[in-house]
Amino acid sequence: MTPASPTTGPVVAAQGLTLWFGADKAVDGVALTVVSGEIHALVGLNGAGKTTLMKMLLGMLRPDAGTARLFGEPVGDAGPEVWSQVGHLLETPFGYGELTPTENVIAAARLHGVDVSAARRQAGEMIGELTLGRWADRRSRVLSLGNRQRLGLACALVHRPRLLILDEPTNGLDPMGVLELRGMLLSRSHGDGVAVLVSSHHLDEVAWIADRITVMHRGLVIGNLDPAGVDLEHRFFDMVYTAEKEGPWTQPSPPRP
Amino acid sequence: MDAAIATEALKLRRSPVARTGWLAVVLGVPALTAALTAAARAGGDSQLAVKAAAMLTGTGLAGYLGIVGQVTTVAMLVTTGIVTAWCFGREFVDGTVAGLFAATVSRRRIAAAKFVVMILWSLTACAATVLLALLAGALLGLGPPTGDAWRAAGMDLAAGTLMAALALPLAWVASARRGYLPAVAALLLIVVATQIITALGAGGWFPYAAPALWLGMGGPEAAATIGPTQLLLTIPVSGAGIWATTAWWNRAQLT
Repeated sequence: MTPASPTTGPVVAAQGLTLWFGADKAVDGVALTVVSGEIHALVGLNGAGKTTLMKMLLGMLRPDAGTARLFGEPVGDAGPEVWSQVGHLLETPFGYGELTPTENVIAAARLHGVDVSAARRQAGEMIGELTLGRWADRRSRVLSLGNRQRLGLACALVHRPRLLILDEPTNGLDPMGVLELRGMLLSRSHGDGVAVLVSSHHLDEVAWIADRITVMHRGLVIGNLDPAGVDLEHRFFDMVYTAEKEGPWTQPSPPRP
Repeated sequence: MDAAIATEALKLRRSPVARTGWLAVVLGVPALTAALTAAARAGGDSQLAVKAAAMLTGTGLAGYLGIVGQVTTVAMLVTTGIVTAWCFGREFVDGTVAGLFAATVSRRRIAAAKFVVMILWSLTACAATVLLALLAGALLGLGPPTGDAWRAAGMDLAAGTLMAALALPLAWVASARRGYLPAVAALLLIVVATQIITALGAGGWFPYAAPALWLGMGGPEAAATIGPTQLLLTIPVSGAGIWATTAWWNRAQLT
């Protein structure tokens, strides 16, 4: 089965996604789309449900309610044709300490369906692009936090995915790394038509790269922000405080269905 | 080579846990048993000499290989158990498991690849241990291998392999409990349970005790009670553990 072309519909389409962690609703009826060639940013305070939402989109968690489709295919049914087009970086960056960065990137490529020779070539390119060449043949366990993040990004990008799902990708990166990442995401998205869903705490960073910004709070989507508008931080906190004041969370949560 | 097997093989080859465990069996067992045999052959009435002599199930090289087999069964269970626990549990402890989701290679296949490399690891460890033991026997002056010695070496290999296979279900504990330490705890429980069940006289039908009893760890009378049926109980136990683990990985969520 071939996934739908990214140009014929949203690459990511989620509807009513809901997940409970015990008595807490971690994600509450979230609807979201990401289309080809756009960078869609998710912002929210810690615990807003951004990572949990991303995990559901990647098949790492099964929703209690709602649906998520990638390239038109339900996530639960997605096979190699879909996953070969998806790159992700969530929580701990991919990378085994006993392998070299080059070996890790080759392994990531191969686990996404790239053959051995192409994996070697593309891994070499990614190591260069993420300026990891100096450490390419050393054990990955010696890498600094920032370079581990670069390695994780290399592993997410090496198989040239059409969809990128990145959770806090600037974690640990130095200012140069942040600039490089910004360039990579913009060129892949606006240049190559890759769909990007990215979460971030850094509102100024989001303002630089995002085409759309969705704000999450307590598992809900509470609104969208215009990345081009002024004083993004002020508008974000206004939205969060209003939601907090008007939201249903002062009442006990309804019981889990 | 299959992408999952190639990746898992590389990870295991580079792993200090796997390397140390392999060397501990391959060098430790022949060295320890050679020292015991030398003590027994030296005679005397020291406690070590008396205990070592009691472990000898025969004379010459075949007798030495009998001791090797008994120690190998324990060593293979413990080291294969620890390396298996690490191989599966480290993905959760190191947080690398997220990278195994949303990949073209299914998680069931990744778990199966882990079993393939663990089986190769344990087979090579067991074979190298028996080979080095044969060499150590020659150095002890026990003479060249005869029919009895070859038979004893074959039994060592078989019993060591069975014990390694019995360690593989620990992968399920490491996976379901998301870490290697719970699996190491389960391994310790198995070792203790084996001791108790053997002491109660029911070891022949307890898969984790049968291979060592077959090699004479409980004396010749106990060894005579062990037949192929008891030894082959390994297959359903190991098979069920492998099946449960791959099924778990197939359904796993990243909670």
